[in-house]
Amino acid sequence: MTAERSVAGSRAPEHYSPGRMTPFSINAFTVTSALGCGLAAQLDMLVGRRSGLRANDFTEHELATWIGRVGGLETAPLPERFSEWDCRNNRLAWLALQQDGLLDAIARARARHGAGRIALLLGTSTSSIGATEEAYRRLTPDGQFPAALRRPIIHTAHSLGGFVQRALGLDGICATIATACSSSVKVFAQAARLMRCGLADAAVVGGVDTLCGSVLFGFNSLELVSTEPCRPFDVNRRGISIGEAGGFALLERDGAGPWLLGYGESSDAHHMSSPHPDGLGARLAIGDALARSGLAAADIGYINLHGTASARNDEVEARVIGDLFPATTHASSTKGWTGHALGAAGYLESAISLLAIQHGIAPGNLNTTTLDPACGPQIRLDNAPLARPVALSQSFGFGGSNCVLAFGTERPH
Amino acid sequence: MPSPQTAAEQALAQLIVSAVNLEDVRPADIDPEAPLFGDGLGLDSIDALELALEISRRYGVQLRADDEENRRIFSSLRALAAHVESQRSA
Amino acid sequence: MNAAMQQETFVDGISFWAQRLPGWEIAGAVLAGRADPPVVAGRRPSPELLPPAERRRAPDSVALAMEVAAGACAAAAVDPAGLASVFATTHADLAITDYLCETLVRAPLHTSPTRFHNSVHNAAAGYWCIATGCHAPYTTLSVHEYSFAAGLFETLLQVASDGRPVLYVAFDIEACGPLAPITVSHGLLGAGLVLSPVRTATSRARLSWSTRPGGGAQSTAARSANTELIGGNAMAACLPFYEALAAGGGPVTLALGPDLLLDVVLDSCAPAPP
Repeated sequence: MTAERSVAGSRAPEHYSPGRMTPFSINAFTVTSALGCGLAAQLDMLVGRRSGLRANDFTEHELATWIGRVGGLETAPLPERFSEWDCRNNRLAWLALQQDGLLDAIARARARHGAGRIALLLGTSTSSIGATEEAYRRLTPDGQFPAALRRPIIHTAHSLGGFVQRALGLDGICATIATACSSSVKVFAQAARLMRCGLADAAVVGGVDTLCGSVLFGFNSLELVSTEPCRPFDVNRRGISIGEAGGFALLERDGAGPWLLGYGESSDAHHMSSPHPDGLGARLAIGDALARSGLAAADIGYINLHGTASARNDEVEARVIGDLFPATTHASSTKGWTGHALGAAGYLESAISLLAIQHGIAPGNLNTTTLDPACGPQIRLDNAPLARPVALSQSFGFGGSNCVLAFGTERPH
Repeated sequence: MPSPQTAAEQALAQLIVSAVNLEDVRPADIDPEAPLFGDGLGLDSIDALELALEISRRYGVQLRADDEENRRIFSSLRALAAHVESQRSA
Repeated sequence: MNAAMQQETFVDGISFWAQRLPGWEIAGAVLAGRADPPVVAGRRPSPELLPPAERRRAPDSVALAMEVAAGACAAAAVDPAGLASVFATTHADLAITDYLCETLVRAPLHTSPTRFHNSVHNAAAGYWCIATGCHAPYTTLSVHEYSFAAGLFETLLQVASDGRPVLYVAFDIEACGPLAPITVSHGLLGAGLVLSPVRTATSRARLSWSTRPGGGAQSTAARSANTELIGGNAMAACLPFYEALAAGGGPVTLALGPDLLLDVVLDSCAPAPP
């Protein structure tokens, strides 16, 4: 197969321009991260500008970096009835499910719609690979997994979706989405498509990703992990701090909001682990999110940026924001608080964006002292009151997968 | 006509071909003075990391991608071999 | 979940690759029982669409996915550059998972950056977009043994929702190392489709679909000869669907989850006039 053969005589699909979409109400949501369990803990740390990052105490082999770790997972096994699914990632999923009245809200939605009419779409990057790593550390003398870890379902990506489906007692559409760091925002787009087509009446979306050796030493091999707490958009930033997080939201057609107003998805088509130098994919995703939500750039009060504190991401993203948004838009990365939760980052930062518009506070950047000259006036160091309760949350992943969501407190007319 | 590879360059050329999976390149055919990156062998930043890893494993010499000297160190097989030799004997 | 029959969808491109069934021309004939499989296994596909740097880094999973993605687009005579896509893979690159886990035990600081960035579940989709210059979105998912049906469902959903053609690629590779007895998957198996919301000059089958509650016992079984041939691969659940395509049509029921079924009816159709 050559490029010439595959393209010869071919039909080119026309450029796809989305129209305005019907918004969906987020009738319950929660998130758990290094900032604590549930929304109140996140808000308290955001307002108080206290970071959840700590020096790496997770890896057995020394690695000088900072991490956003959720405390207590090691001593909180799943209830006995879920023991087949027990692993760090599913423990975090279970912990996150217990917060903010989420289970009650989902139970009420079940009563309204039926368990088969609620879709379950969850994002992760590495799911429970930590359990596979542990099995390799504890191989039997003849090279087999230890008996306690011979559980096929925890050594594959759908460990997450399968467990939460069981835990919630849902039997509609269920999928685990793994597009690296955009995973847990793309689930909102999928949920919108499902409900638009009448294939579900409600959707539980979310993301869970936990610390593991693969990502800590993998990002270290790319020389992307910082030896200090990450400093997004700082001129002297030295890389990322890896974190973990889990959270879920319940989407329905009707409710009191806040609202998912739009989404935009794109591909960079540039490089597996570096962003497009002009941020082309990011621009396409932002444009489509604005088009679906019927918003102009000037309508956006807050943007939660991808802002990993890697040299390349922040430089490119700062230029894109400077080009597309007015100076009145307040933009920041909250990874200085939470670290980069990878496959759960998009959901975590969507939840932070929802808190921002609900409480009228736009977070700044944390740990950052001197902004990179690439930053325009949109990117702020300090928290500030939020002028317009409309937010974007943007996530850009390895493999050039980009997704941007738009949220607002009011249902547009 | 490229100048011949020294013994150290031959060993390093083999390491490069194997580390970044240059299927169509024979180690002996690498011109020691030609650029490794860009138009030369076509290597990029990920390859630089992969090479740095292999060099540290094989020779115990640490290279970091953010080293400002890297442009010179990685400029050719000859420059890289010279740097590795100087660090090993340092 | 009771869903009304969705709007019609058309199968514009079909591709398939397994070591004993290298390409849809051979696979279609063998899956329909019209021919015997070749005795000699095909060589691993070489992803010639990729730029040189990406090609030499491409692991088996990427090479396989690229082969069937390009094959489906070529059969549909569609330019991949504007095509949204869905990639389903149960386990992504199992050889890299084995490598990463083994290296973490032995020498974590020697983790290969190339293999790490190839380890993401969406590596094949990312390489595909680089190779084709495609800025349209892709989705990559896994639903364990339901991965093929779930990816097909997501593709059908996107076609119905957005009214544009979508590429579907499903693949899994062989497990190795200590993981192999737990996460069982043998050989390479990739399958592709281009699905379109309207009949085109390359349409070869009309597809209607719906979902209903039900257990896996109600799903269509693959022919035993085909299961023997490639049934050990984690993506082998795609076989009944491709058997129906090879047979020129028919109903297929695929398990979409523990309590959910996807009913598909395929009918051969004439291409739209040019």
